[in-house]
Order: sequence, then structure tokens, then C-alpha cells
Amino acid sequence: MFLIFALITLLGAVAMFRSRNLIVAGLCLVLCFLGVAGLFLLLANPVAAALQIIVYSGAIVVLVLFVIMLLNSHEEEPAEHPRRIQRWLGALAAAGLGAGACKAVLSSPALARLGQEGPVKVMDLHQVGVSLFQQHVVAFEAAGLLLLAAMVAAVALVKKEL
Amino acid sequence: MSPALLHGSLQGYILVALLLFVIGLATVLIRRSLLIQFMGIELMLNAANVALLAFARYRGGDVQGTVFYLFIIAVAACEAAVGLALVVALYRHRRTTDSDRADALRR
Repeated sequence: MFLIFALITLLGAVAMFRSRNLIVAGLCLVLCFLGVAGLFLLLANPVAAALQIIVYSGAIVVLVLFVIMLLNSHEEEPAEHPRRIQRWLGALAAAGLGAGACKAVLSSPALARLGQEGPVKVMDLHQVGVSLFQQHVVAFEAAGLLLLAAMVAAVALVKKEL
Repeated sequence: MSPALLHGSLQGYILVALLLFVIGLATVLIRRSLLIQFMGIELMLNAANVALLAFARYRGGDVQGTVFYLFIIAVAACEAAVGLALVVALYRHRRTTDSDRADALRR
């Protein structure tokens, strides 16, 4: 199961990276997020899986697709300057970072020790709610304030005349 | 590849998160359209979430991980709203969503 969901996630991400059409890229992103939700289920965390589907593959991707259709920019515009060296340097930096980090993860004894199978505890909404409203009330209110500020900022940025 | 990696272990999840992050980073660095770069940023945020919840699971089902994931989602939603508003505002001014064409501070 882990392999199936990991493959769905990574193939969705690669398809998004390679697709010419931005709408297709958005749909590949949905596939990738659904794979991530499956990984969260395997991590005994159905709360996070449900939130992942509702917020990411529901709300955020729909917002991106809405903006793509609003601006009518389905394809990438033809390049003004080729800037080949910068693109190759970017690819090289990403590949180097990925290779180095993969090597570090695979050869780390501390990670292997932490990964010993313990008893599986399934996360439920009750625990999360209790922890959220007992220990993190201030952060919860701050998150609400942040969402309000972002909403006001988004309206102020796109409104033609305030 | 070891069988533990194939059937899901902590290292397997961290590896998936890493590859997801690298693909997102490559998208931001190589693609030119601001909208697909934005999708790359979302991909990197998701990679961080996978790593966070994998560590929470292998620490014996830590609740703090899920609470932190909630806050990350809230911040990601804010970032999506403001980022897309910026793209729309740029399109109003320059008629483009290409990040290479938005390279002058004033024109």
C-alpha cells in the first residue's frame, strides 16, 4: 500500500512538473495531493487525511484553477530570453540537494532507530481538539487573525478602486 | 532496496517527502509561469507536512504533530490567497504571468 500511494504522489508531482498545459498541471496536483492523503491514512492519521482532501485538493487547487481560467493563461508564454545557464544551474542545484539528502536519510542510524515499530495509536479528532483548545488557544486565535489579515490583503490587492 | 523501505518505514516516508520537495524546488527554479511556480510551492509545503506527520507517527502517535499540521494548513491557505492576488495584480499591470518578464522594479 505504501508503495502504491508513494508512486501516485511522486508520479503526480512529476506529471505536474512536465505538463505544458497549466490546467493539466493543476489536475496532476490534485492526484499528488490525493496520494499524500493516502500516505496520511497509512500513518494512522485519518484526521490529517480528511483535512488534506478538503483543504488542498478541494480549496487550494480550485483557487489556482480559477485564477488560471480568469487570466486565460493556459500555456506558458514563449520565453523572452532563453537563460539556459540559469535553468541548468537550477536543475543541478535541485538534483544535488536531492541526492545529498537521500544519501543522508538512507545512511542515518538515528532515523533507523527512531523508525522501530512501536504500538500504533490512531489519531482521532477528540485528542486533536483537546490539545488545540487547551495548550494552543493563543496560537489558534493568532491563526484566525492571520486568516482575516490575508483575506483583507487579498481584497485590497485585487480591487481596482478602494 | 530493503523490504522495510518498500512497505513503509520512517525512512521510506522521509524519502518520499524529500523527493516531493526536490520536485517542487525544481518546478519553482525551472518553470517560468508564476502559476506553476505557485503549485511548486504548494508541493514543497506538502513535503514538509509528510515529514512532520511521519515523525509524529513514529514518536508514538504524537498529537502535537497534527495540531501543527492544522496551523501549517492555515498559513498555506493565507499564502494561497495573497499569492494568487499578487499574480492577478501583476497581470493587471503587465498583461503577463511570466516571472521572467516581471524583472524590472519600475517600467
